[in-house]
Amino acid sequence: MQGLTRKTSWFTCLVILSIAIFSACGDEEAAIPDQVDFNYHIRPILVQKCYLCHGPDSGSRKAGLRLDTYEGATALTKEGLRAIDPGHADKSLLLFRINHKDPEMVMPTPESNLTLTDRERKLLERWIEQGAGWKPHWAFIPPKSSDLKNDKDHPVDQFIEARLKEAGLKPGTLADQTALIRRVAMVLTGLPPTPAELERYLNDKGDGSYERMVDRYLSSPRFGERWARHWMDVIRYAETRGHEFDYTISGAWRYRDYLIRAFNQDLPYDRFVTEQIAGDQLPAPRLDPTGTWNETQLATLFHTLPEGTHSPVDIRKDEADRIDNMIDVTGKAFQALTISCARCHDHKFDPVSAREYYALYGVMEGTRFTPVPAAEPAHRRSAAVQRQVLDSMRALTLVWLSAKMGASATASFASAPMITPMMPDSASGILADFSGSDLQGWRSDGQAFTDGTTLGDPLTDSLGNLRGLKEGVASSRRLGLNLFGALRSPDFVIDRDFIGVMAAGQRSSVRIIIDNFQLIQFPIYGDLDQKLNSDQPVKLIFPVSAWKGHKAYVEVLPGSYDRHVYKQARDAWVEVKYAIRYDRDWFEPRRPSTSVTLPAAYRVFTAGQAGPTDIRLLRGLLPRTLRLPELSALQARAQAIQSARMDSLQFISGVTEGFGKNSPVFHRGNHTDPSPERVKRHFIPAIPVSKIDLDVPGSGRLALARAITDPKNPLTARIMVNRIWHHLFGRGLVETVDNFGMQGKVPSHPELLDQLAIDFMRDGWSVKRMIRHIMTSETFRRSVEPVAGAVQKDPGNILLASYPLRRMEAEAIRDAMLSVSGSIDTTMFGPPVPQHITSFMNGRGRPGKSGPIDGNGRRSIYLEVRRNFLDPFMMAFDRPMPASAFGRRTVTNVPAQSLILLNDPFVALMADRTAARLLAEAEKSTEARIRWIWQRCFSRLPTRREISDATEFMETLKKTYARSGQTVSEQVIWKDYLHTVFNLKSFIFIS
Amino acid sequence: MLSRCACGFGSIALMGMFGSLASCSGRRKGLEAALANVGGGIMLPGHIPKAKHIIFLYMDGGVSQVDSFDPKPRLALENGEDPASKFKVDATQFNNVGKILQSPWSFQRYGESGLEVSELFPHIGSCADDITVIRSMVSNFPEHTNANYFLHTGSGLQGRPSMGAWVNYGLGSENANLPGYVVLDGGLIPPGGLDNFKNGFLPAGFQASILRSGPVPVANIRPIDSIAGIQDDKLAYLARQDASLLQSVVGAGDEIESAIRNYELAYRMQSSIPELTEFKAESEATKKLYGLDSTDPHTRNYGAQCLMARRLVERGVRFIELTCPQTNGTDRWDQHGNLKAGHEANAHAVDKPIAGLLKDLKLRGLLEDTLVVWTGEFGRTPFAQGTDGRDHNPSAFSMWMAGGGVRGGMVYGRTDEYGYRVEENPVTVHDLHATMLHLLGIDHKQLTFHFGGRDFRLTDVHGNVVHDILA
Repeated sequence: MQGLTRKTSWFTCLVILSIAIFSACGDEEAAIPDQVDFNYHIRPILVQKCYLCHGPDSGSRKAGLRLDTYEGATALTKEGLRAIDPGHADKSLLLFRINHKDPEMVMPTPESNLTLTDRERKLLERWIEQGAGWKPHWAFIPPKSSDLKNDKDHPVDQFIEARLKEAGLKPGTLADQTALIRRVAMVLTGLPPTPAELERYLNDKGDGSYERMVDRYLSSPRFGERWARHWMDVIRYAETRGHEFDYTISGAWRYRDYLIRAFNQDLPYDRFVTEQIAGDQLPAPRLDPTGTWNETQLATLFHTLPEGTHSPVDIRKDEADRIDNMIDVTGKAFQALTISCARCHDHKFDPVSAREYYALYGVMEGTRFTPVPAAEPAHRRSAAVQRQVLDSMRALTLVWLSAKMGASATASFASAPMITPMMPDSASGILADFSGSDLQGWRSDGQAFTDGTTLGDPLTDSLGNLRGLKEGVASSRRLGLNLFGALRSPDFVIDRDFIGVMAAGQRSSVRIIIDNFQLIQFPIYGDLDQKLNSDQPVKLIFPVSAWKGHKAYVEVLPGSYDRHVYKQARDAWVEVKYAIRYDRDWFEPRRPSTSVTLPAAYRVFTAGQAGPTDIRLLRGLLPRTLRLPELSALQARAQAIQSARMDSLQFISGVTEGFGKNSPVFHRGNHTDPSPERVKRHFIPAIPVSKIDLDVPGSGRLALARAITDPKNPLTARIMVNRIWHHLFGRGLVETVDNFGMQGKVPSHPELLDQLAIDFMRDGWSVKRMIRHIMTSETFRRSVEPVAGAVQKDPGNILLASYPLRRMEAEAIRDAMLSVSGSIDTTMFGPPVPQHITSFMNGRGRPGKSGPIDGNGRRSIYLEVRRNFLDPFMMAFDRPMPASAFGRRTVTNVPAQSLILLNDPFVALMADRTAARLLAEAEKSTEARIRWIWQRCFSRLPTRREISDATEFMETLKKTYARSGQTVSEQVIWKDYLHTVFNLKSFIFIS
Repeated sequence: MLSRCACGFGSIALMGMFGSLASCSGRRKGLEAALANVGGGIMLPGHIPKAKHIIFLYMDGGVSQVDSFDPKPRLALENGEDPASKFKVDATQFNNVGKILQSPWSFQRYGESGLEVSELFPHIGSCADDITVIRSMVSNFPEHTNANYFLHTGSGLQGRPSMGAWVNYGLGSENANLPGYVVLDGGLIPPGGLDNFKNGFLPAGFQASILRSGPVPVANIRPIDSIAGIQDDKLAYLARQDASLLQSVVGAGDEIESAIRNYELAYRMQSSIPELTEFKAESEATKKLYGLDSTDPHTRNYGAQCLMARRLVERGVRFIELTCPQTNGTDRWDQHGNLKAGHEANAHAVDKPIAGLLKDLKLRGLLEDTLVVWTGEFGRTPFAQGTDGRDHNPSAFSMWMAGGGVRGGMVYGRTDEYGYRVEENPVTVHDLHATMLHLLGIDHKQLTFHFGGRDFRLTDVHGNVVHDILA
């Protein structure tokens, strides 16, 4: 950036004493401000020019000098001086060194390739003379409210215009109505206004017509379809995992639908953040308006979007890379901090140490991946009823047993010895023995496995007759079939050659999850996923000797993975008796046999704590077949519930809790070189929040979400209002929307940013209200025409005297063509339209069939996003690659864009369809037809000149065809004309 | 860079039209937006470059070093013995370790240098004195996709800029009418897909253009209009209308201005790119040199790519990568089984064309400023996978370079007696990248791009130039 010459004036500002528009590497010609501000003038110099050797990273610090803290910068050196001696420029070593002529002495050193400008040296000097005031980084200071000058003008305009005034600029005129409605429609919905919308607005002569128009677009379902896509850039949205075979991410599109609904419903932003980070842990699920989808669970698909490698030879490195991507995106999306810079060393610029990186690593590591039924609420509801049925059946059995035993039996054994369940035990090699009633400390997710084994459940035949009491197994069909659940062991370290699981099941599977690795398949990992198709228990043997020393857990699933997509047949089930680890010989866990008496057995059974021996005894009381009418009625009811729930058992990839885990620090990011001690999970201490401790049972994600959405967090609200501003104006108040750290840009209007952040929180974190607030300012409504003097005084239009002209995004360009041509299908939600595959798109994982060229007319957000087959149209127009957070798209200008608009069959098809529609709908005269086109493409009527230009152009076309001996239909000429219109800059720019 | 920008659009176009940054035509808004991302980036060469172009011959799947450029007589002596009794065997991708497997091919010394090349590559052998073989390459990844990303982008993860993108970001193209980074698609896109050739976080213009042979080498390059002249009419109308839009926003229309200029470039490309694939001007002798007369269709296919590569070099394209042809019944060079048939089919497809390319470049005086790089993503095991294949081996593999500032007739680095691990002068992928950039006149430590809070490099925080092989 340095050397970029800008003509900017520096000025004093309202609240903070003096603030530059640009970061300090700006204008050499600008005057040195009277009062130098640390955050706006000095810190950028220190960060850019000094911190590589004198910053927060102790590993690369030279001469023991740190300039990132006041204490470090003002500490006494061995020469008896200070680098910075507040108030004494002449005694400050820093100034001595930066002004030195000797290449051996001068700072920054010549090898660093960094140099200070004269202006920077002068700023440092004046700042030290003025006492070297030190402040925390601006973004870590809580936002402050400002006093407004008056109640009359829009607050946004007051901030913007104050700054313009200081720069000697006057705000420009307001845009006309046609420009405004096109701008508002494009920015809010990504579609040009329809003629009806245009007419409605132009005919609304009352006060507040603009606001009403804005409100109409804000409440349009199309709004969410555009704003969800903005968020999808931030969270590297894709529907496949990339890598070699580009496997599907199950149900990713349902998360896309979640986002659309969230924006359309104006879900409060703090809630939106919490759901994505830890929705699975919120006490009450939030359902979509139809009650079908569990939104809180869908949101967590956010964590499952990184790329996926199917056969990494180093599985721990694979985990470390995946977690790094999760930390990277979580850090940038919600805190606009580049936390993952601290993976290998302390952050070079920001106050994030490697320890803090690994404090968050533990949070991600303790998070497990799981399939979740897409229609999870239905599962939950029917499981609740089925549970009641089971409990009633058990109660009925008890009643019968108590009658059989006689009342006296129950009273006399108050002190019956309790049978303690056998606990998993490392020395014995037993991972679990489910013959007791408890699940041995394993986690039961979903509904199928309930909270206990089948021990003592009534055993009935198909007629509902009681045939005995069940033995203990962990069963996915305890409540019946057709429910999802997963049973997972705690983490353990692999220390034997084999893991053994005694299990029965149909179309089900048991997996060994090592280092959270999911894409299990041959050649390396195939044995870790074993399918079950046996009604009788069989020995599943998992050879794991290659992974000794790795952490692992056992996962029992009623369904199984097919090309990494979880599927579960309606009649699939699984039951596990026990799980062990061993070196040579399989063994069966044996309980010490305890002698109990019948009354004692009855007693513990009523308390729900019976052991296998108790149940065996009690079973002896039952006749071979016992007909209890209520019981058979209940059984029939259970079956009815089970078959009534006809959801298609589709699954999304989600997350659930593991067991709390603190991670060691990996020295220089190397997972093979962990520190001996582990770092307690905690939030970044430099960000002032109420509670930084994340070291809780479970992963700590919910606590992380709470720290991020804490109203005291100075970043979260600022970041989101800045993202909103970015999408409304094409540039954020902080230009680096994903980086509020010290290497990011400082805000152009800091008080405005603060005020908006405060308003945002006070207004319930409402995104729509914030958008409306900004859009109703005059600043948003200004014309794109530059004002006098702006080109000289504010060439970047940072001060917003006029509205910034900019190219539309890829999606908006494509959708606009669909809309004008009448091809658009406004169906919302659902599975993506398959990617259109051209002959230029090759490679592994290439889909067998290409999707339709026009995407069936669906909006771009509904087109498939395959990591290895990204859409060429979208990519050419700068949709980012789904790898990291990309909240600000680059805007490039490459010939591929022109070539697409000129020659791509899709664009030609859109022109052709528009021509057909035009001829069918518009009045016959050429002029009327041109008007029809301009209304739809530019939201205005053409000028006389434009009409004659167009007419003349079409005459030329006809002549050219004639010259080559071709007679073409009217439609061809109109098609050629429309094709050219789609190539006009006014068509692809927002003005 | 900035002063160049300030000179106006013309000079910027020389940075590579595919690589022109957003709206560089102006000095204002668009430029600033573009440069917000550009750390200390674009630069003129830091020292006198030896090479101006790179042709990267990618041997997808991993050629076996002990069967190509690294002869190991001991394998014949111990053929059929248990490798675990000889050395520690690392985990392999397919975990199906067989016996020590001697090379099915003999080696011969070529040229004055006496460089040893197996009988798989007699034609390349005839260029021995022009090539420098590095026998001590190592990679970080034993799986194709990670290793491909690593070789192409310096990172095993998806989403980083490819080396061709970095080169063009650093130097730009010499031809305003062609992209600066071209991948010639021989039929096989390597595992990991087109992301091996993408721009990552660099601006979109730096990504590779994938060119195929045939009349439509790249998507949308032929005018869609049914007759000539219609597009000209359209462009004339466009120019008039866009100009009047520009009039209405004087001072704020930089982005529009550059979008307009873009059409002029796109227009010229419509003729400059298809012209590349037409070999009308090439003599029969030249075509023969490249094997275009071969009875093997794969040799013809690869020969056409090699010839196209020379034509691209002549036109100033910076970085050209050739992907492998799809030969019958083989999976690239990835012979987990049936090594003999597979390697022979692959070698037959590429041997003559590559030798033809080297000779033709030399004849035309182009070899001295063109660096030709031949490598796979890793090597193969000296022991069998099953009975007649070889598994992946990232611990040692051979590659070679020719032209553009490297010595010829030289071997660098050494593996152990089995060709399993490197014993002397290991060369990492980062070292290879550093050396390639060095030959182009770029200090790999200075070629940075600021993204997400830090300066990224092709070589990450690694890489040493292999000075010993430089001429």
